[in-house]
Amino acid sequence: MTQGRRGPGAPRVGIGTAHGHHGELVQGAFSRPGGALVRALLTLPHRGIGSRVVFHPEPGAALVLPGPGYEKVGRAVELTLRALFDEPPGGRVEVTGDVPRGVGMGSSTSDVTAAIRAVADSRGAPLPDDEVARLAALAEGACDSIMVADRVVLFAQREGAVVETLAPRLPPMVVVGCDTDPGVSVDTLAHEQPRYGSTELATFGVLRSALRRSLTTGDVGLLGRAASASARINQRFLPKQPLDFLLALAEEEGACGVQVAHSGTVAGVIFDPARPDTAHGVYRAVDRIGAAGLPVTSVLGESLVRDVPVGA
Amino acid sequence: MPARPYGEATEAYRIPKLIRLAPNLYGVCFTLMKMIPARHILRRAEADGLLEPETVVVETTSGTFGLALAMQTAQAGRRLILVSDPAVDERLLRRLTDLGAVVERVAAKAAVGGYQAARLTRLAEIRRELPSTFCPEQYSNPDNPRSYALVAELLVEALGQVDCVVGPVGSGGSLCGTTRFLRSVLPDCHAIGVDSHDSVLFGHPDGPRALRGLGNSLMPPNLDHTVLDSVHWCTADEAFLATRQLHQRHALFMGPTSGAAYLSARWWAREHPDALTVVLLPDEGYRYLDTVYDDAWLAAEGHVRAELPDAPTPVADATVPGTVWSAFDWGRRTYADAVAGVGLAVR
Repeated sequence: MTQGRRGPGAPRVGIGTAHGHHGELVQGAFSRPGGALVRALLTLPHRGIGSRVVFHPEPGAALVLPGPGYEKVGRAVELTLRALFDEPPGGRVEVTGDVPRGVGMGSSTSDVTAAIRAVADSRGAPLPDDEVARLAALAEGACDSIMVADRVVLFAQREGAVVETLAPRLPPMVVVGCDTDPGVSVDTLAHEQPRYGSTELATFGVLRSALRRSLTTGDVGLLGRAASASARINQRFLPKQPLDFLLALAEEEGACGVQVAHSGTVAGVIFDPARPDTAHGVYRAVDRIGAAGLPVTSVLGESLVRDVPVGA
Repeated sequence: MPARPYGEATEAYRIPKLIRLAPNLYGVCFTLMKMIPARHILRRAEADGLLEPETVVVETTSGTFGLALAMQTAQAGRRLILVSDPAVDERLLRRLTDLGAVVERVAAKAAVGGYQAARLTRLAEIRRELPSTFCPEQYSNPDNPRSYALVAELLVEALGQVDCVVGPVGSGGSLCGTTRFLRSVLPDCHAIGVDSHDSVLFGHPDGPRALRGLGNSLMPPNLDHTVLDSVHWCTADEAFLATRQLHQRHALFMGPTSGAAYLSARWWAREHPDALTVVLLPDEGYRYLDTVYDDAWLAAEGHVRAELPDAPTPVADATVPGTVWSAFDWGRRTYADAVAGVGLAVR
């Protein structure tokens, strides 16, 4: 611990929250200066959904979880208590949330992140984002970057560490999200890590350049094409059966591209709200995706087009 | 890009300078473009365990790819044997030997396939005589085009949008590689390949060529014809004058393959004012001080011309060499379809 041990202040009820996401804009492996490869991703945050954890500390007592399936949350509480206060875990954990599970929308990381924050809050010792990220990756084995709230980052999911800060924020976008394989859930960690070929690895370098450029200039078109390229590469590893349909739909409705959950089943069609006719394209996309039998999960950034009148 | 020192010369030599030549035209200016594939291929071979301490690097080249290899092997303290024509440039030869390379010159043309066939035969002999060799094979190694992802990275980060790439074609590596990687995020990017008349790359019968460094007498497997939207052929005179204009107007001191590409790129950029064009300019002018940059030499060789055509002459048949700068609508077709004049999509 670089910070040294905090507290211990009087334990009190701690509350932590975290939001979910809608898969990734890009995920792959990128070379660091010097040539070593690091697996990393750019998360598309979904601030409309999330988890809330309440931690009732009881030093010396057993750790009581909400039920089976919350082992990662338990590990996060334990790791945080040991790391921060050198204490064994004791207390009761309540988890509530509305992030769909097993579809690649970050339910696990949002629970774990909220739990880490709740434990820190129980001692009045809020943690910096990078420490939350490190603990989340330790608790989960891999995590996305939803805890990094104040900037857009390329994030090494296995290490739980920022590889590169790309921009202060994402440009305004509208994303029509859907579940490409309703009813099927993907276990992120059981899913084998992709073994990328030489051309794929070289392409990720170009995608990183496209991210740097599009995020500094607010070029949603270029960002969308980078997302589409990443989605196409991922077809070899976790294919989305309707990807070609979504790519064609994006083209026809004036969208910028398609993003996917690289370890889940959701996908989204990305629109630039600054383009004329985007409102129309968004509504057409919602209709066509529904008509194709794919449940629309959410429309991110909907308020950007909500008040625009749509012609017949 | 954060300022950071380069670990070695060959790392720095890979990086081009992006220079504005017109509001919608940028030159990608290299000191030695072939450093990109040479360094990538040798580092890859090293990582894959193909280079033992005693392994000798061998290649048939007497051009800039050989120089890039020699710079790499000098840094690594590794032996390099290059097999070349008798006509190797003396200045380059001095540089190669100073870097420790052994340059073998074949004495005579082979009965079939000319000097290139003779060089390949000699290369095979050398490989048989040595216990361990590695040949980078720039004309067929897929790591050659793949290495140009670096150029696409730089262009995408610096410019964001690229509507057209123009470059000379010799092995196919630079133009095909750069374009393919650019199209991963810029799928509509137009590609123009610039060749010399009497080169076999795009359908002409093989013949003597005064313009060197682009074109080929053999078809390199690394040339992916389906990448190209259009093909230009130019003459030595035109390329030399364009090289001088690039120097005189933009103070860019480049070799004649750069001049040839500049000629085509300048025209395309003028014709498409709303599009952004980039042109690959592969090497510097030092090797050509006594030729392209010498008016007396140009006059003696009959390469003097007063001006350049405003536009290339459109040709309908890719197989007939011409005497002026000309253009053919390749249309991302295979070699067989394009030379047969079939399969052009209506656009």
